[in-house]
Amino acid sequence: MNAPVQMTILQSSVMAILQAVAAIIFIFVVVPMTIYAERKVIGHAQDRLGATRIAGRRVGLTGFLNKWMWRMGKVPLLSYWRGLPMLVGDIAKMFLKEDVVPSKADRAIFLAAPCLSMIAAVVVFAAISFSPGALFTLPKWFPIVGGLPFNGAMTDMNVGLLFILGIASVGVYGIVLGAWASNSKYPLLGGLRSGAQIVSYEVPLTLSLLAPVVLAGTLNFGTLTRVLAVETSPLAIPLMVVGFLVYLTCGFAETNRVPFDMPEAENELVAGFHTEYSGMRFGFFYLAEYINMVVVSCLAGAFFLGGPWLLPFGLHQFIAHVPVVGQPCALWFVLKIIFLLWVFIWVRATIPRYRYDQIMAVAWKYLIPMTLVLVVLAGVVKFVA
Amino acid sequence: MFKNEEMEINMGPQHPSTHGVLRLKLKLDGEVITSCRPCIGYLHRGVEKICENKTFFQGQVWTDRMDYCSAVANNLGWAEAIEKLFGITVPRKALYIRTMLNEFNRLASHLIWLATHGLDIGAMTVFLYTFRERERILDINEAFCGSRLTTTAFRIGGLREDMPPGFEKLVRDFLAIFPDAMNEYETMLTENRIWKKRTIGVGILKAEDAVAMGVTGPVLRAAGVEYDIRKAHPYAAYSEMDFSIPTRMEADTYARYLVRLEEMRQSARIIQQCIDGMPEGPVMAKLPKVLRAEVNEVYHPTEAPKGELGYYLVGEKGSLNPYRFHVRAPGFVNLQALPKMIEGSMVADVIATIGTLDVVLGEIDR
Repeated sequence: MNAPVQMTILQSSVMAILQAVAAIIFIFVVVPMTIYAERKVIGHAQDRLGATRIAGRRVGLTGFLNKWMWRMGKVPLLSYWRGLPMLVGDIAKMFLKEDVVPSKADRAIFLAAPCLSMIAAVVVFAAISFSPGALFTLPKWFPIVGGLPFNGAMTDMNVGLLFILGIASVGVYGIVLGAWASNSKYPLLGGLRSGAQIVSYEVPLTLSLLAPVVLAGTLNFGTLTRVLAVETSPLAIPLMVVGFLVYLTCGFAETNRVPFDMPEAENELVAGFHTEYSGMRFGFFYLAEYINMVVVSCLAGAFFLGGPWLLPFGLHQFIAHVPVVGQPCALWFVLKIIFLLWVFIWVRATIPRYRYDQIMAVAWKYLIPMTLVLVVLAGVVKFVA
Repeated sequence: MFKNEEMEINMGPQHPSTHGVLRLKLKLDGEVITSCRPCIGYLHRGVEKICENKTFFQGQVWTDRMDYCSAVANNLGWAEAIEKLFGITVPRKALYIRTMLNEFNRLASHLIWLATHGLDIGAMTVFLYTFRERERILDINEAFCGSRLTTTAFRIGGLREDMPPGFEKLVRDFLAIFPDAMNEYETMLTENRIWKKRTIGVGILKAEDAVAMGVTGPVLRAAGVEYDIRKAHPYAAYSEMDFSIPTRMEADTYARYLVRLEEMRQSARIIQQCIDGMPEGPVMAKLPKVLRAEVNEVYHPTEAPKGELGYYLVGEKGSLNPYRFHVRAPGFVNLQALPKMIEGSMVADVIATIGTLDVVLGEIDR
């Protein structure tokens, strides 16, 4: 780790803003790409092409673009390129749709709920560390903060994990309040399911993260991931593998993904908690789900797959002589996140949905006892090693 | 301070998984259903009354629109009921082709059932896999009678045309790929833990209840009653076919799933026998230009993909159209078992049970 650089208050606040902007840019690059990947991966899993184009209309922007592209004798690249422009279309659609608030809804809460979900999802990134120490050093000509290191973590706080779990659990309020405030029956059912489900799964989720914490002996995100990647004993490997699977299961439940997509089970509850939402307010819920997927993948990568910049279980020493990838680098983190997001999509294409009571049974009867045993075993391993 | 109150909720008529415009009035205690009342009639078009004002030849077009997922089976029942009414003997080749198309139709209908049933429970991929094969069946329909969904496949007295050139190859190609496709669906579902959890013990309808309510088709056979009209009262060329009637004893959603899958395999077997043993000869009986009815009545049951499809026709002396026409639609009768199957279970089970009953509102409301 680099020695901490002394910064003035102005410099550190400018730096914080820069980092926040960088994190938000990261989110808004990764999330649309996930949505795009979901369409494509599921499409190919299901023997079809997935999204291939937007347009098909003669009016509006796409019509205009198509017309000129055809006229120039080219296939209209901008609206056809492998369905990528569909992402732009999605966002545009969400912004342009009418924002309907049901007349009997509790207006203030109805409007606040999606923001709550979104904020809870985004703020978590403050404590995730993407790289050890500095990602890069800002050039000298940069105003105010020139020549200072740009850290991979916004705040490397000593209770990072607690912060992440605490903020992530705020997200459920967005769902429950939004459902309740809609004053409609299907959202109400969806909201109740979601409340019960997310609260239940938070227990095994937290407990499964406790095993790595016990092994590492710290809550600081940066230290914890480094210790887990480099200094864990071989005894801990089976624990980590089981813990990873448990964590991933809970992660599916936390993000309301198949097979735990009860709250919005479209075939039962129409659209679940967001039935009454439209436009960008729906979009916030939609984006929050994908951001949460990224968060869960980040945490899984960080805690169980060897942290943001190394391979797990000390495997990194075997490729230490390879240039670029042999060094600790953020590329590994990106790969891990991509892999885990792919798992999310893969599972969605493969398996059906649990029933509500079965989901609760899975959490309370199997996952929580399993994680408790894991924590105890982690203590034993820590003691032995 | 707290009081217990049941929540009344309308599922449908606009709902993603009530398979059309079915409306269920549910009373919920938490997520447990305490009472369920199906409300139907949102798709009523008066098919029976319309057919009473059409000639015997014209009526068949309306049978397409009843159970639009199994139009050929509806056509077959109509054509045979009228042939029974007038005492027409259909040439043997026509019977074989009818049987073959009817079995293709059973496959198409069961594929749609599997697709939507899977989709309702959350298995999205099966939906698209089954539609891939169904597309081929629709191509076969198209090759034979020019249209894909609303087929109007037969004529009274036989068929309008013999099989077109190249038809046999289409059929044989389909039979070659179909077993693999079936295995593919089974890989996705049959041993899937979540699928089993969602279907085993869900929507149980015991044999005595099923018989008492007049439930027929795979739902009855999954309760252990070996009743299939193709064997019990053979029609078309079924008496010459070698096939078995799959039954299960469990009477739950999973049993109905297995029964329907086995039925699909048996259908493929029947198609194979039809195409292999296709007789030679004409496909149309000699008929008068205009059919004028005598005073007569006929009830003709057939085994449609969803159960017993019966046509009741009353003739009037000298009339060009039936005096009375009534359809015993399997979906209509099967649907009345729904409250019995789901009361006391959870909301998610309603969806699974609607899926397993395989309702098509077109034939229920008619």
